Amino acid sequence: MAQEYWKWPESDRLSEDVDWRKAKKIVAGVDIGTTGSQAAVFCDGALYGSANISTGYDFKAAADCVMSRILEPAGMSLNDIESIAATGFGAGNVSYASKALDEVRCVAKGARFMFGPNVTTVVDLGGQTTKAIRLYDWDRVRDFTFNDKCATGMGRNIELMADILQIPITEIGEKSLMAEKDPEPVSTTCYSFANPETVGLFTQGFKEEHYSENDVLASYIFAVSWRILGTIGKLQPLDPGDFTVYGELAFTGGLAKNIGITKRLERELYKTALTSEYDPQLAGAIGAALLA
Amino acid sequence: MERFRSILENFHTYAENWKKRSGGRVLGYYEPYMPEEIAYAANILPVRIMSRHAADDVTDRQMYGNCYCTRDMLRQFINGDYAYVDGLVNTEGCQWLYNAFQTTLNSKPELYGYYLFMPDYPDGRTSKDVLRSELDIFKCRMEEWTGREISNDDLDRAIDVYNENRRLLRRIYELRRADHSVISGSEAMELVLTSQIMDKSEMNEMLKAFIPELETRKPLSDGVRLMLIGSETYDVALEKLVESLGANIVIDELDNGSSYIWNETIPQKDRLMALSLRCLGRPHSALKDSVWRRRPDHIYRLYEDFQADGAIIAKQIYCHPHGTDMYMVWKLLRERNIPYHTFERDSTLPYEETRQRIAALIGMIEPGITRLSGWSNS
Repeated sequence: MAQEYWKWPESDRLSEDVDWRKAKKIVAGVDIGTTGSQAAVFCDGALYGSANISTGYDFKAAADCVMSRILEPAGMSLNDIESIAATGFGAGNVSYASKALDEVRCVAKGARFMFGPNVTTVVDLGGQTTKAIRLYDWDRVRDFTFNDKCATGMGRNIELMADILQIPITEIGEKSLMAEKDPEPVSTTCYSFANPETVGLFTQGFKEEHYSENDVLASYIFAVSWRILGTIGKLQPLDPGDFTVYGELAFTGGLAKNIGITKRLERELYKTALTSEYDPQLAGAIGAALLA
Repeated sequence: MERFRSILENFHTYAENWKKRSGGRVLGYYEPYMPEEIAYAANILPVRIMSRHAADDVTDRQMYGNCYCTRDMLRQFINGDYAYVDGLVNTEGCQWLYNAFQTTLNSKPELYGYYLFMPDYPDGRTSKDVLRSELDIFKCRMEEWTGREISNDDLDRAIDVYNENRRLLRRIYELRRADHSVISGSEAMELVLTSQIMDKSEMNEMLKAFIPELETRKPLSDGVRLMLIGSETYDVALEKLVESLGANIVIDELDNGSSYIWNETIPQKDRLMALSLRCLGRPHSALKDSVWRRRPDHIYRLYEDFQADGAIIAKQIYCHPHGTDMYMVWKLLRERNIPYHTFERDSTLPYEETRQRIAALIGMIEPGITRLSGWSNS
């Protein structure tokens, strides 16, 4: 089978410190995104199990599969779970969920759990949408913005680029940071333009004459980062005209694992993002579980 | 309500039947500043050119880069859906609509075409006189085209019919207020859109029968009350989506929504001046609000009057009037701490993506709502 450059490694994890059979309350959250699906199971407020898989084309199958990745090794059944909340683009396909919640609230809640209570700006870098969320000091959303048309499918486009360039997606970010200096970014208005423009940099002999492979990747990732900055910039400032990121910043979603993007965003925002022991893609599922 | 809905869904059929029935001409128009009364006085049916959701395989050659709505307007002419239209009028305004108007005339040279100048600064000192003289020329052209003189009596009759229609639709809007909200956002929008393609005198009779029926309805449970701001829309998909999430759009500030019906023509001896003043005095469209900014205040007044809890700004992709004016609206909403969400829409409303956004907006607003006792929908 040909190497799937676009694919992030799938994962599942069960905590050895928690015995679910002794738990008084078990809740779960399922986040069915356009590219990745995640599930999280909590036992008495502690994260017991989590799973992260590629969604594929069948949302319903993904919903069943991602939950089974926790239930089967744990010997648990859906009946053992008191409440299950679904979120994400495919939330309506989670037949076993008792409620569907909006992504913004779930990601915000999950980020507070993963990164601590001081998080006030969450940037969720997903496969289909980028969401910037500003939170009050308490767990309530103060404002949120999404990317708009011409910039949808950002994560999906990077997957596409990984496949076209035959560079594993896990390495793109790191390679882009190896460029000595960020070259001029490719198109920042539309990924449909950015991708062929990047491919063009390879095919026109640019690579040999002007840019190294890392330079080309830097140009591309720089453009993606600028586009994300635009979404963050649309968040309501505390004072008009002030775009400073107040409080603590956290990145969630699949692209939060792309160091090329997060480092560039940190540089432009003059802010170092918080880190977490959890997979940043789990934010939605964790939040959904906590709100279930 | 079903009768209005059926007319709106089959608006081409309605206009074709009207033409057969009355023997009059049908004049399509694009812009919100159209002085319909002058055409109506000459027994012409002014119909708003509206876009629909359909696959477009014909307009790329002519209008690549325009917003979807204007491209679809051209598509419908090329495909013959608007074959009953005898002429087109465009008033000075949106460049995309102008492009649709001009390109349609290029591809359908048999159509009568008239371009009506509309001052860029509605509040300018000379604007009312300039527009009055433009309306005078437009009236003469309509007389030439139909071969029929437009008398003062004709104009008075048309002004009365249009004023009555606006008054009745304002009454519908009043029934969206918080203390007695009996009509949903989608229904109200359907009615306003219907008025833009129907013979107003016929619609007035229907509205007079419908409003008493509406007033006896049980008040709705609005949930979160939202205001809709942004580009013109020709369907109610967004309103219905909002309603499916337990909220309601209780007021809009759209050129073909509330702004279309908001002000009446105040009769005066100089009928054309009266029409000129109505056109200039209507809520500013985004394009005409560049110097004397009245639009933000108007939006805020509507927001307060209709006791909305938040706002949705839905901009059509590539809509340049709202693309540039949106930032002034953001400023207004931010300064007043009004929760809102902005998004771009295309030919269709991407259901799941939009649902996520609206659900998040409702989720953001809902915990902060406190209703005073006595609210019917609390």
